[in-house]
Amino acid sequence: MPVQLGGARYPKDSDESWCAVRVLVGTDVQPIDEVAASIREFGPRYTHRLFTDHELESCGENPITAASGLAARFAAKEAVLKILESPDSVPSWRSIEVRRGAGGRPELALDLETASRARRQGITHMSVSLSHGGGVATATVVAQVSRWRSARR
Amino acid sequence: MSDVTATIRDVLEAHGRMPVSVSTLSDDDDLYESGLSSHASVNVMLALEDSFDIEFPDSLLRKGTFQTISAIRGALESMGVTSAPE
Repeated sequence: MPVQLGGARYPKDSDESWCAVRVLVGTDVQPIDEVAASIREFGPRYTHRLFTDHELESCGENPITAASGLAARFAAKEAVLKILESPDSVPSWRSIEVRRGAGGRPELALDLETASRARRQGITHMSVSLSHGGGVATATVVAQVSRWRSARR
Repeated sequence: MSDVTATIRDVLEAHGRMPVSVSTLSDDDDLYESGLSSHASVNVMLALEDSFDIEFPDSLLRKGTFQTISAIRGALESMGVTSAPE
């Protein structure tokens, strides 16, 4: 039986314990020209503050294509930050990495501290989708939150 | 207004891409609510580094550091900045 999303129970008819599943969504847009302008003005000081080595390598040397890829990755980091609860402090941008997964599909990797924060929220999985066009880059992140509940009190 | 605060305001005006004039904001107004984007806050940070000849440590590379002018001044003070650049 597939897990039902949207606050559903799984297994649906269990009298013992069940898993409450819901999803959280974060999305963000980033003008590409702003990223390009920052690269021109601040160079590596800018890129290395926000992006991991893997992200910089993924976006390549060409400053035009790099700006669109990096803008999408910045949007992804912001989308993750919108999902994570941050009562005390906000994770740093480099603690959230967009990795190029199998077949070029983007995946998210979090550093230990940020991953722990996500686990405390019950987040068991995150997916990201990136896009750019018309001068803007966008990213949407969907997080699955699963919490096992016991029917016994 | 301290010289440090005046420099922060100048940097915000030049790099913050804000829809309102920084002169209309108090030191404790929320800069993000006033239109400062997360991305622009990075530019503000780098421009502050140039202005004060400092480098923000990783521990301060967070959105909260740039929430208000007072918060920025506090961050600079924590790095030993007590006066405006010459």
